[in-house]
Amino acid sequence: MGKVRCPRGAGEWANCLVALLLILLGLPLVIMGVQLVFFGGSPYYVLFGVTIIAGGILMLAGRVLGAQLYLVAWLCTWPWAFWQVGLNGWGLLPHLFGPTLVAIAVVLTIPVLRRMEQEAQIKGSVA
Amino acid sequence: MRKNTLLAATILCGSLALSTAPVSAQAQVLSESPSTSIGGKGPHLPHPPGWYNAPSPDAPQAPGVNAADIPPGPPAEPSEATPAVAQQSSNPAHDDWPAYGRDSNATRSSPLDQITPDNVSQLKEAFVYHTGSKPGPGEANKWAAETTPIKVGDGLYMCSAMNDMMRLDPATGKEVWHFKAGVKYESIPYTAACKAVTYYTSSTVPEGQPCHTRILEGTLDMRLIEVDAETGKRCEAFGYHGEVNLMKGMGESVPGFVSMTAPVPVVNGAIITNQEVLDGQRRWAPSGVIRGYDAETGRFLWAWDVNRPNEHGEPKEGEHYSRGTPNSWAAMTGDNELGLVYVPTGNSAADYYSAMRSDKENAVSSAVVALDVKTGTPRWVFQTVHKDVWDYDIGSQATLTDLPAEDGSGTVPALLMPTKRGQTFVLDRRTGKPILPVEERPAPLDTDVPGDPRSPTQPWSVGMPRLGFPPLKESDMWGMTPIDELYCRLLFKKSKYEGEFTAPEISHPWIEYPGYNGGSDWGSIAYDAKSGILIANWNNTPMRDQLVHRTKADALGLLPIDSPHFNPKAGGAEGNGAMADSPYGILVTPFWNKFTGLMCNKPPYGMITAIDMHAHKVLWQHPLGSARANGPWGLPTYMPLTIGTPNNGGPLITASGLVFVGATTDNLIHAFDIKTGKEVWNAVLPGGGQATPMTYEYKGKQYVAIMAGGHHFMMTPVSDALVVYALPDKN
Repeated sequence: MGKVRCPRGAGEWANCLVALLLILLGLPLVIMGVQLVFFGGSPYYVLFGVTIIAGGILMLAGRVLGAQLYLVAWLCTWPWAFWQVGLNGWGLLPHLFGPTLVAIAVVLTIPVLRRMEQEAQIKGSVA
Repeated sequence: MRKNTLLAATILCGSLALSTAPVSAQAQVLSESPSTSIGGKGPHLPHPPGWYNAPSPDAPQAPGVNAADIPPGPPAEPSEATPAVAQQSSNPAHDDWPAYGRDSNATRSSPLDQITPDNVSQLKEAFVYHTGSKPGPGEANKWAAETTPIKVGDGLYMCSAMNDMMRLDPATGKEVWHFKAGVKYESIPYTAACKAVTYYTSSTVPEGQPCHTRILEGTLDMRLIEVDAETGKRCEAFGYHGEVNLMKGMGESVPGFVSMTAPVPVVNGAIITNQEVLDGQRRWAPSGVIRGYDAETGRFLWAWDVNRPNEHGEPKEGEHYSRGTPNSWAAMTGDNELGLVYVPTGNSAADYYSAMRSDKENAVSSAVVALDVKTGTPRWVFQTVHKDVWDYDIGSQATLTDLPAEDGSGTVPALLMPTKRGQTFVLDRRTGKPILPVEERPAPLDTDVPGDPRSPTQPWSVGMPRLGFPPLKESDMWGMTPIDELYCRLLFKKSKYEGEFTAPEISHPWIEYPGYNGGSDWGSIAYDAKSGILIANWNNTPMRDQLVHRTKADALGLLPIDSPHFNPKAGGAEGNGAMADSPYGILVTPFWNKFTGLMCNKPPYGMITAIDMHAHKVLWQHPLGSARANGPWGLPTYMPLTIGTPNNGGPLITASGLVFVGATTDNLIHAFDIKTGKEVWNAVLPGGGQATPMTYEYKGKQYVAIMAGGHHFMMTPVSDALVVYALPDKN
């Protein structure tokens, strides 16, 4: 498990921002999503929220797994969205558009995360 | 089609994406349902309890209610109308549009065929006329002109939102005369609107004399006014210097409480009047009485007063028409042959609480009532909602036509009644009996409102395609991102919803779907008897409502308009209402995300449908209106993508196979090919096109006219412009 440390360089700062964004987006999803389940609604939101918060925390810790977690959640959202609203373009908008933009940002962090992991491994082997 | 919308959605998102996340997060933090924000622990009232009371229903009328100070005279007995002559609207000339709904059958269907699906794209502005009526400095925008001009011979006649009447040259828009009605700002009820004037041909004044032909209107401040169609001067022989005071016999009222916005039909010499009584004010609001007046003289003929069914005269000194009775604000349709007027009724006052209504009121509310124009007695009643507590009053005008009899024996005189519910009832207008089957279906009964049980069944017009969608479900919720979509899901799940007719609730909000804007509202329908095609544009906008105990309503400052302490900003029609004299107030909001201003249900919010009335099948149906002038936080997206917007204003059909409709909140006027439903033309209007367009021919040239007056509630830009289009001259 990598440790959270101060970001170095633009890439790590960008990764840090994306990770914080995931956590920030995940919080309302979890808070309202728990209530939705309580009122008998879909558990998707709380699951999605927990996953992306976990993803964000792992990314802060410099783990590629964090990005992968988000991308898995994003991929799973697609069939779910089509199941919810069918082929209705306007209906798909909230489910797919924003999360896809975020997915692009997350994909871009992967090289940074890889490097962070490698650095951590090197440090680990040195120590 | 689907591919297009998918693409559209993807493009639209591009512009939204950057700003969505922070706002959605804010939505989460602040989200509270109306029930929790009011506070449930014995609200502290800033005033002593009596402060909130409405005046006595027997109190005298406030100054200004009798707007023209017309001397009352003794209460009139019932009488009969001066024998009538044939009217233009019964048999319109080919080139004309002599009545609000084109003809007395209200078909909104014209035989003109110069503008066709092939050449419509060449339409150009022929002229723009400014009525001069829009909000002045310091005046809140309550404007929505909703006007459809009429055209007879050499005159194009219309009214402004504030009831000035004018005659224009049909070719140039040049004003021939302008009658100033002098309606005051405080007389505006919910909306400053004047849907149309009425053209009347006198039976006693010979041709060539003043007031042989007349222009007639009912005003916001409850006057009937008749002027000479040639000069615009008052017809002195009508009423008191050309005016009749319709507040006579109405009892206690203040300016703006009662008003007229719909054109008055003249049926066999009788002017029939109805009036809009401001919603949500108090149980004992002024009466919804329907009255007849002589079109020649303005003399009182009869009254149909729901709780005084056997008294057809004016109330005696010190008495008044029965209060709180169902009011009718829609355009009525006259039937000269059967001697009937078809009155689309609304609801008893205090729309959302029915325990204080009489059986007589319950029998005629939210119904079509066919009144005998000689006596004012109902010949039949067809009810579209039983014990309405959803503000499903009928806003549409009934359309008349003859339909082939089911047994093949000739035709049946039929009446088509669109409703806010999206149910279109098809009735035999001789008897009120359904021609297409109507089923009584079970309706939800569960309610926490004590002593106010709901009707166990409601009527469904199962033989007609429904102008609506299936009941809402959680997955119908919408937003820009998963976060605001989730906010709406949560709102949906926290509200009481058991499908259409979900009963009112005090403990938490309930969802009203269809909402009170329809389905079909005042725009009504167009029907081409030749092809048997019916065109309807309609809404898909749920509401979220909650009843609140009187103390809470008081704490919220909800007062009726006639309270001495009334503050117009705290509540009014079509929103939160005091419903004074009853135990509850009402909170009404669109079912939306108040942080983004987007509706909670997914688009479309407005549709247009073509129905084949011979097969009773949908020919085509698609979303109506683009996203160009709409978007989150009320911001325009400038994207010409069809999303389907809320719409107010009806369609028109031409013989050349075109449908013209404004209505949408994208401020466009649209033309569709009636065969395919394809949009073949549109143009940007200077204001919202919340009015029904009309068409006429003059000196060999066809014109299409629409009032771009805007609509304050639809949040479209207000203007005073009548825009008239025509094909360019060939030379």
